[in-house]
Amino acid sequence: MRHGEPRARLAPHGMTHLARLLQFADSTLPIGSFAFSNGLESALQTGIVADASSLLQFVSLVLHQTARVDGVALLHAHRAALADDYDGVVVADRELICRRVGEEQQAMLTRMGRKLAELALKSSPSPMLERWLADIRLDATPGCLPIGQAVTLAHLGADETEAFIVHQYGVASMILSAALRLMRIDHFETQRILFAAQGRVEDDYLAVHDLALDEMAAFAPVFDVLVAHHTTVHVRLFMN
Amino acid sequence: MALHEPLGLIDKARELRGFQTEPAQMRSGAPGKVGRLRLGFSLRDGRSVLHDLYRVAPLLVQQALYWDEAMPELPVCPIISVGGGILQGDRYTIDIAVGEGACAHVSTQGANRIHCMDANYAAQHQSVTVEAGGYLEYLPDFTIPYRGSRFLSRTDLVVAADATLLYGEMVLAGRKHHHVEERFGFDLLSMDVNLHRPGGRRLFAEKILIEKGDPTIAFAAVMRGFDAFANILCVTPPETAARIKERFETHFPLEAPRAVSGVSRLPNAAGLMLRAVGVETYDVRNEVRRFWRIVREEARDRSLPAEPYWR
Repeated sequence: MRHGEPRARLAPHGMTHLARLLQFADSTLPIGSFAFSNGLESALQTGIVADASSLLQFVSLVLHQTARVDGVALLHAHRAALADDYDGVVVADRELICRRVGEEQQAMLTRMGRKLAELALKSSPSPMLERWLADIRLDATPGCLPIGQAVTLAHLGADETEAFIVHQYGVASMILSAALRLMRIDHFETQRILFAAQGRVEDDYLAVHDLALDEMAAFAPVFDVLVAHHTTVHVRLFMN
Repeated sequence: MALHEPLGLIDKARELRGFQTEPAQMRSGAPGKVGRLRLGFSLRDGRSVLHDLYRVAPLLVQQALYWDEAMPELPVCPIISVGGGILQGDRYTIDIAVGEGACAHVSTQGANRIHCMDANYAAQHQSVTVEAGGYLEYLPDFTIPYRGSRFLSRTDLVVAADATLLYGEMVLAGRKHHHVEERFGFDLLSMDVNLHRPGGRRLFAEKILIEKGDPTIAFAAVMRGFDAFANILCVTPPETAARIKERFETHFPLEAPRAVSGVSRLPNAAGLMLRAVGVETYDVRNEVRRFWRIVREEARDRSLPAEPYWR
């Protein structure tokens, strides 16, 4: 720091905030996302996804769906966390798992949610996150990832749009990192797809930001069959 | 006329905000447009009977028939709609209760046709209760929303921990052979289902919301190449669910499939969900019957007779 100049003029507010946001949005954050493909493995085996353009469509669909279900729960949990309303967090958590069909889809949500809580607590103490993790261990709340993200990010001072973006980015990057291992596609293509898919985040937020938990809704029948398909295939690399 | 309370709540649904104009014909919810049906089944002297029947046209049930050859103890009630389909401004409520240890099968006489609309919408509330040890198959025929129609359906299910409920929703995306704009040409289809245990614990909820012009309809992971879909819930104890899931083979042929289907577990160990998608209604119905047979065999040790020729 140059002598005599105020710190604020030299470094804008929020640099640490952005740095920590990037840390929790990182696709290599060790919460186990490498084990899940979110239906992509079955989509490839059945020919629903075969190339870069159908992969972009698949990622867009999953983002569209996840915004309208998980995204709504995340926003409610984030608002509850800011209001120090722990019961509101648990309600959002339970409502979300109630809407998740398929044992592997449920496992994806709850394993990563629990891992995130354990990991975040190692770096920064948060009484609400601690209570949530204790309740997960007691089986008193399911422990869904978007809820964990909402509580963690609210604690770090992220607003709800930032929490929503981190969540949506995480979903897209998880599928695309699975794509690199499952199909003939290179990093350039997956980054191009990620860039294109991220373009929808604002519209998705605006479509869901004022929805109630009871209004979480989706429609993707073939995707729903893929979810069931994956539980019965013999050769598989991913857990869903 | 004051509407049945759940129907009043439906009126306030966000997706209906744009469809509040009154029909030029009879006003919405007028007498004659509110169908009521209440069916109660219970065990009397070891036999399941229809002990309670209340109906208001256009919904009609005449009597329980014992004509299921593979399950002769099963009272079968087809719901008849004397109106020839659902019109704008119609409001239906259907309540079905199955008492302790009783069994029943409720179906509909034909497809549930949602006619074209230029004002208002049509809504339906269903409540289904299955008490301890009960068994209910509630499998209405296909819902066919015509172009320009708006339909909202809410279903509340309350099922005891040791009871079994097979409840299904099957939808054809319009009169596909009638008009080029029929396929997903409706303005709104909103269907939600909520499952609770007696006493209130929520186990499962799902809402399907399709609004006109949704670009994802054309996606391969949604409905590309298919016109009909079914979501069939089987609420049953975990050990029965495990046996059913073990027996049901996922169907996903790689070359030009007529139908694809698979079974997934519901959250909170509530049972199973069959997801089926197909080209024609009969392609989807075949998958549903394949699941239905296994459910009956595992839950009740009874088989399913061959489909009647008029179906």
